[in-house]
Amino acid sequence: MSKVVEISPTTRHEGHSKLVLKVDDQGIIEKGNWCSITPVRGVEKLAVGKTPEQVPKIASRVCGICPIAHCLAATEAMEASIKCEIPNDAKLLRHILQLANRLHSHALHNILTLPDMYIPGTETKINPFTSEEPVRSVAKRIQRLREIGQTVGQIAGGEAIHPSNPRIGGMYRNCSEQAKTKMYDLAKEGLTLAHAQSEFMIAVLRNYQKRDWVDVGGMKVPLPKTLGYHDQGYLATHAFYGSSSLEENPSWDIRRFKEARPYDWYMGEMEVTLEEPKYPIGGTTKMGTKTNPQMEACTGIPMYDGQPIEVGPRARLAVYRGFDEKGTIGQQIARQMEYQDCLYEMIDCIDELNPNGKVVADYIPDGDGTLGWASNEAPRGTDVHLARVKDWKVQFFSMLVPTTWNFATCSKALEGAPWQLAEVIMRGYDPCVSCATHMIVVDEDKKIIAQKLIQ
Amino acid sequence: MGAELGNYKSCVSARSTDKELLKNAQDGGIVTQLFAFALEEGIIDGAIVAANKEFYAKYPSKCIQDSSNLDMIEPWRPIPAIVNTKAELLAAAGTKYNISPNVALLKEATRSFGLDKIGIVGTPCQMQAVRKAQLYPVGLRNVGASISLAVGIFCMENFPYQSILQLVEDHAAMKLESVKKMEIGKGKFWVYGKRGQVVQLPLKITHKYEQPGCHVCLDYVANLGDISTGSVGSPDGWSTVFVRSKIGDSVWGKAMAAGCFETQPIEKVKPGLELVTKLANEKITKNKKTLEGRATFGVGKALRNPYI
Amino acid sequence: MADKITVGYTHLSGCTGCTVALADNYGGLLTLLDKYVDLKYIPTLADARHIQKVDVSFVEGSVCINDKLAVEEIKETREKSAIVVALGGCACYGNITRFTRGGQQNQPQHESYLPIGDLIKVDVFIPGCAPTPELIRNVAVMAYLLLKGTKEQKDLATAFLTPLMKLTAKNEACGCDLIVDVINQGLCMGCGSCAASCPVRAITMEYGKPNVERDLCIKCGACSAQCPRGFFNTDVISQYEAINEAIMAALQ
Ligand SMILES: Cc1cc2nc3c(=O)[nH]c(=O)nc-3n(C[C@H](O)[C@H](O)[C@H](O)COP(=O)(O)OP(=O)(O)OC[C@H]3O[C@@H](n4cnc5c(N)ncnc54)[C@H](O)[C@@H]3O)c2cc1C
Ligand code: SF4
Ligand code: SF4
Ligand code: SF4
Ligand code: SF4
Repeated sequence: MSKVVEISPTTRHEGHSKLVLKVDDQGIIEKGNWCSITPVRGVEKLAVGKTPEQVPKIASRVCGICPIAHCLAATEAMEASIKCEIPNDAKLLRHILQLANRLHSHALHNILTLPDMYIPGTETKINPFTSEEPVRSVAKRIQRLREIGQTVGQIAGGEAIHPSNPRIGGMYRNCSEQAKTKMYDLAKEGLTLAHAQSEFMIAVLRNYQKRDWVDVGGMKVPLPKTLGYHDQGYLATHAFYGSSSLEENPSWDIRRFKEARPYDWYMGEMEVTLEEPKYPIGGTTKMGTKTNPQMEACTGIPMYDGQPIEVGPRARLAVYRGFDEKGTIGQQIARQMEYQDCLYEMIDCIDELNPNGKVVADYIPDGDGTLGWASNEAPRGTDVHLARVKDWKVQFFSMLVPTTWNFATCSKALEGAPWQLAEVIMRGYDPCVSCATHMIVVDEDKKIIAQKLIQ
Repeated sequence: MGAELGNYKSCVSARSTDKELLKNAQDGGIVTQLFAFALEEGIIDGAIVAANKEFYAKYPSKCIQDSSNLDMIEPWRPIPAIVNTKAELLAAAGTKYNISPNVALLKEATRSFGLDKIGIVGTPCQMQAVRKAQLYPVGLRNVGASISLAVGIFCMENFPYQSILQLVEDHAAMKLESVKKMEIGKGKFWVYGKRGQVVQLPLKITHKYEQPGCHVCLDYVANLGDISTGSVGSPDGWSTVFVRSKIGDSVWGKAMAAGCFETQPIEKVKPGLELVTKLANEKITKNKKTLEGRATFGVGKALRNPYI
Repeated sequence: MADKITVGYTHLSGCTGCTVALADNYGGLLTLLDKYVDLKYIPTLADARHIQKVDVSFVEGSVCINDKLAVEEIKETREKSAIVVALGGCACYGNITRFTRGGQQNQPQHESYLPIGDLIKVDVFIPGCAPTPELIRNVAVMAYLLLKGTKEQKDLATAFLTPLMKLTAKNEACGCDLIVDVINQGLCMGCGSCAASCPVRAITMEYGKPNVERDLCIKCGACSAQCPRGFFNTDVISQYEAINEAIMAALQ
């Protein structure tokens, strides 16, 4: 008979989420639900009636780890709705900003996943905060990579965390020659560090992959070769940046998109029937606790061509580079592979930037209510925002964020793994849970209707 | 050494040895010379100063401006700007007796301007803002450690733009465009015209035009600058200079060694520190009274006191 | 020096930007953890799942009062911490969650968000969105001195923290505070600190005084807290050189 185990809250990722797992007698996951339990701040709803200039600044604050993606996708969705083309140098600044965020975010994710891994050739799990070598040098390198990302982002985007420079129609300010040189030097330094860091991470991941078992809170858990495998397919809209409905041939198709509510998709009420106090740190949920993903989940289930899909580094590499390694380790490897790519692209963009070029469009229309959308390839995947702006007021706003896509896909990827490794699989997605709380539904006619949800 | 002059390591009367520079400067050209030297030596890689309309027209990307367009900017209205060269420094030299929110550029300096080592000039209250930014950086990330040279200028009071307009155009009966220099000294407000005319107004006229925020100000000689300077205490064309912090001491020492300044011992010049002390005391005493008055301003209701 | 202080981090309805700001002390974060701070609980960065008893709790985010768990967590945080620090605009003032009005999938009833000070007593505010790594660092070092330092260090820490403690008297912030508390009170001197500190460029300086574009303001509280006429503890700020040096030395 299968049992129900719950890990709540999950740790080492952004936001609040939990795992509700139905497992067999061997503790292998038969069906897993990973759901957000972060309160819904309702950014899509509060956006209605505000100005298109204000909404991206609020949208940025949906998530402090990929704020850039949200700020840019929101800004560009507004621009797509009002049909405003921005100058090339503004675009370049946005690209630089976006790549800078990816660099910092991937590095941060290294800190979050390393504790699951072993120092190669030893039985010692990695504590990224230990002052002992060899880990301390790695931690310092990670922090320096983050510093480089954050500093470049700060120069191009005004602020390191929530960018202040993007505005509807372009950017508030271009960078000076001096600032350009500084960004260039930083990117070059980053490249050297990124080579070393990605090499280190890949070695650690390959070492993990080769193990037969791993230790979880003193439990010896067998490590399946197919950890985190799924057959859901991938979605990416650009190798680096994104796409929008202003483009002639956009790389995302709104007609292939559909969303289900959690009620249709998640498991209903259950009682926790398996409890493991040894599970690190603080144990799993107490036996007898009632749990109900259907009712508690804060996110919807977005689908492309009728299926949940994966977004993120592997999806980008799969779509644009032909990378095809499956499972959690494949996904993690892909993330490390993006390090250098991201810096090379950043250097190209900095090179191309003209500090004397204008960065604000000459004419910024007030909008006629047309539906516009823009996607942005956040560190953890495709972030699509949709907007309607009329007479300089937002009438409709929706955010289709990376982790929302991945919630359902990851739930599938859990199947077949020992439940103790569920968090390892989940972390492979580098989830940003706070943002994954939104509303959007496309009805049968592929038209966006918002009302359907609140019945 | 009384508290009214703040902590300082040394005090001299000085002026720049660069005659060209002195032509543009307000007094001894201390600020402009210090920044020019610091730029040359790489002690700073840019400085925030108060520029004007002509500067803005020439170097728009170096300024932050309020929302008005170029045509709307009046003569003598200060525009905070970031300068990187001596020519730009010279173009921004001289005192503008109305508010130049130089601190507003402090963060942008490290962002789109790409500065790592910022020089900034400002009134005592602006130096307070700079130090608060370093100790309590609430909204000023990555700014504090970039401040490499903060030069304070003495200040008895400042004026809103319209006050200067009314003082010059109404009281001194001169068009603002035709003014070459303004100065407060020897108990008078002086307006020098480009055609050579000189008008002096008694300070009792200017008082009513002061910005109210100045009346709670308890610092005359920029106690929190790395170096602070003003005309008071020194002969015409010379400046009184307090060297205050370690940074200030080091920069001043290097600038002296490089022959940037000629100096006289402050004890030897007239009117000397005595006058500086007197004026500082007057300002502080008067404004402390204002602060006390604020505590009982209403009926059982106080006005706010920022000094906690 | 004495042993470390224990620190917890409660994450409520915030965006994790505050956590990133903490992490953005880069090498300094590692030193803080090596020498001064024993991080007991911070789910984003470490594994502990449940709130623990600590000397200092940082709280990020406001409280959704329609969410039972959030309300329990903030209360538990208060009960288990000697000092509670509201970190960032959301925890101090509500920030963008002030605009929330519910009605969104999948929890349309999540409508009401309160800054933590409306539910518990808070000891220290660190406003801003995101708050700055440096101010987080300064507060952490000062909290350490307050709890573990000599008499002299305790006095300094108290003097440093006092204004941030006094900020807790008010749980709402807006760019309008500059108008109400500074300009209307006859205190503005036109330095421009407010404009520099605004994270959304809502403030421009017009003829030397701040103009707040209220439509852009997200209510983070940075501007009025950065304003030298918001608070200015002369005794402490005059010692900026020594204090900065001490903090930098501590982080070596
Ligand atoms: C409002 C005000 C009141 C003053 N009151 C006194 C006083 O009572 N007693 C006294 O001795 N000195 C006073 N000064 C200082 C004095 O006028 C000179 O600025 C100072 O001596 C520096 O002269 P300098 O030749 O070394 O500087 P310069 O080489 O001429 O450089 C002056 C620098 O100050 C900057 N600046 C000009 N106007 C402003 C402004 N409004 N705000 C910020 N920066 C500005 C310029 O951009 C330039 O970089 C006052 C200055 C101001 C702005
Ligand atoms: S008197 Fe004080 S407040 Fe006024 S401008 Fe001068 S230094 Fe600033
Ligand atoms: S204060 Fe800003 S950075 Fe912090 S949680 Fe709130 S929105 Fe995020
Ligand atoms: S004006 Fe800017 S700094 Fe002030 S509260 Fe609003 S958003 Fe924050
Ligand atoms: S920071 Fe305060 S004193 Fe300075 S300009 Fe703004 S409101 Fe005025």
